Amino acid sequence: MRLVLRGGRLLDGAGDRGVHDLYVRDGVIEGLDLGGAVDQEVDAEGRLVTPAFLDLHVHLRDPGQEVKEDLASGLAAAAAGGYGTVVSMANTDPVVDDPGIVADLVARAARVAGARLRPAAAISKGLRGEELTDMAALRAAGAVMVTDDGVPVADSRLFRSACEYAAELGLVVQTHSEEPSLRDGGVMHEGAVSQRLGLPGNPDAAEAVMIFRDGEVARLTGARVHLAHVSSRRGLEVATWLKASGAPVTVEVTPQHLTLTDESLAGFDPVYKVAPPLRTADDVAALRAALAGGAVDSIGTDHAPHTLAEKQQDMLSAPFGIANLEVAFPLLYTRLVAAGELPLERLLWLLQDGPARVMGWPAPRLDPGAPADVTVLDLETERAVEGARFRSKAKHTPWEGEPLKGWPVATLVAGRAVHLAG
Amino acid sequence: MIGAAAQVPPPPTPPAAAARRHRHLLDFTDWTAEEVVSLLDTAEVMAQVLARPVKRVPALQGYTVATLFFEDSTRTRLSFERAARAQSADVISFAAGGSSLRKGESIRDTLRTIEQLQADLYVVRHPSAGVPHQLARWTNGAVVNAGDGRHAHPTQALLDAYTLRAALTAAGLPPAERERPFTGRRLAVVGDVEHSRVARSNAELFTLLGGEVVLCGPAALLPRELSRLPGVHLTADLREAVTGADAVMALRIQHERLGPKRLPSLAEYVARYQVRPAHLELAAPHAFVMHPGPLNRDVEVASELADGERSLVERQVASGVPVRMAVLYSLLVGKK
Repeated sequence: MRLVLRGGRLLDGAGDRGVHDLYVRDGVIEGLDLGGAVDQEVDAEGRLVTPAFLDLHVHLRDPGQEVKEDLASGLAAAAAGGYGTVVSMANTDPVVDDPGIVADLVARAARVAGARLRPAAAISKGLRGEELTDMAALRAAGAVMVTDDGVPVADSRLFRSACEYAAELGLVVQTHSEEPSLRDGGVMHEGAVSQRLGLPGNPDAAEAVMIFRDGEVARLTGARVHLAHVSSRRGLEVATWLKASGAPVTVEVTPQHLTLTDESLAGFDPVYKVAPPLRTADDVAALRAALAGGAVDSIGTDHAPHTLAEKQQDMLSAPFGIANLEVAFPLLYTRLVAAGELPLERLLWLLQDGPARVMGWPAPRLDPGAPADVTVLDLETERAVEGARFRSKAKHTPWEGEPLKGWPVATLVAGRAVHLAG
Repeated sequence: MIGAAAQVPPPPTPPAAAARRHRHLLDFTDWTAEEVVSLLDTAEVMAQVLARPVKRVPALQGYTVATLFFEDSTRTRLSFERAARAQSADVISFAAGGSSLRKGESIRDTLRTIEQLQADLYVVRHPSAGVPHQLARWTNGAVVNAGDGRHAHPTQALLDAYTLRAALTAAGLPPAERERPFTGRRLAVVGDVEHSRVARSNAELFTLLGGEVVLCGPAALLPRELSRLPGVHLTADLREAVTGADAVMALRIQHERLGPKRLPSLAEYVARYQVRPAHLELAAPHAFVMHPGPLNRDVEVASELADGERSLVERQVASGVPVRMAVLYSLLVGKK
């Protein structure tokens, strides 16, 4: 199988390589401007050709919650969003706490046309926070990360042990850093808006406190701890201090926390209900300012699909989560890069080299011999977000109707075009 | 407040056209003082209707009002149903009490079912803030919020304003400004402010009508951020709160909300926050005592105040029907 991406501008972490034909053969990048017969040709003229994105944080709901999402829909959605590799979270039903489930996910994902799946496994059995999983066996089955994401690990002793095991095994520990008793029953950020709306609040202190604990335990154990979805100025400041003082932590932020505030909840629409909650404009400004420097290591989507019926419950009952794989790049490109706030190269870094470095994976490059995981981006055409066109089963989105640029028009995974727009 | 001049004929004076701008009454976010005053004036006409031997007018004949109560509240539901029937509307009552929700039905599904009954207006109470707003997005009918979680209870605030305006007028203190009847007045609201939709709606409405509101309660139940609302002050000191107040409103304490992580004990609450005669002496000479009910006797307010001559508690209850009549009338008439 030989494929050419014709006439695009090539850009990766090594720099701008100019306009070329990029040839791909048998799953790897073959070279530039080679000529010769191809099985498939993709027009990339006027487009940007760049390594496919890495997302260390998606909920694919498989096994057990396929009404929300499954491997086929979730990995197709990832590919449509320009992602070549995603790390799936373990809060499924059953929980990914058993090597057999990991092996099954890996095997089934290999038969799906979409992004590559690298599953995360749970820290604790059943996400109950009581007993450690068998991380060595989970790793052997294919797990690349351990996390109880969705549920903070309340027991600090258990978290310490988890970090000790993970450090020994070379697994990344990803945290959902919210102190549960401070978070309490909060359904949105605690502040002036939550008090005006009469909705139970979740204070930023819950995040800051837990990031501090998680970071100090990382320091104590030497585990590589990836702080998922840091959402508040206070949380970010604690994380930044931890990094500056040598704790082995990395920081993830999400598209929603970079673009939406708690004022979005003023209409009482649970589509904006997410954990951690949407914060204030000041928090958004702090996260955005941190993107350009070294304080943020990766952008993860925390793609968290639910059914429309679940999201049409009341604010107290509706589940937390926003499905966003298919809008993440256009959203961030339009709001940050096109708006002149962030260089394109930096946004790409946060979706490519940044997450690769968090995981200890090779930086994705367009070099001959590298895996042919490539995305083609149309940075010019403006198109409104249409949830109805999502490959994800969750077709409701906070950004419905929003005109965005930066749509991924093709995604190759292992040299195969798993997404082709139009 | 219901005068002897009971023979004033219907139909009620049509409310100011401005009030008809609204399809729903969810909270007072988009309401002007003028619109609210026109509702209060309409309620006065409705009170005259209710004082007549035949307490019924045909104003809403042919309309159907549905009460959707996802949380028990016999008093509020009966008050709305009386208000609808007194204007000859048909009434449908739906009490979910959580049963259909247990079956996994979303509120949108519930609404779809009820909509088949073709109501023109839905009166909604729900334990979650925002449900009336959600239903208003999904239905072509009008929606009246009858209490949503901690968020709002606008008809309670309207009846409180109606009662207080009448009481101040009867005490020889009529509003100096018709459109802002509480200019220069201060309302002290005492109790579990955090969990109280009554406190939020009263803070919103009383300030809209020109007054000042002091919210008072134990710090653990007094959200600091509410002080950002214009005209609203916060204090944990009851004596400070009542000093100079024109009315002191005590909130109902919900025992289930007073866990050991919030308040040490009910006795401690009573000792520090029960409104007693000594407090009223610090208030304005004419100051009134209010309570949204149901009263926990000798918890929020000393019985001698709740039953005393300065108490508006019974008049608040009596105001419920005419005020809700005015709300239903204003939202429905002129819409078909």
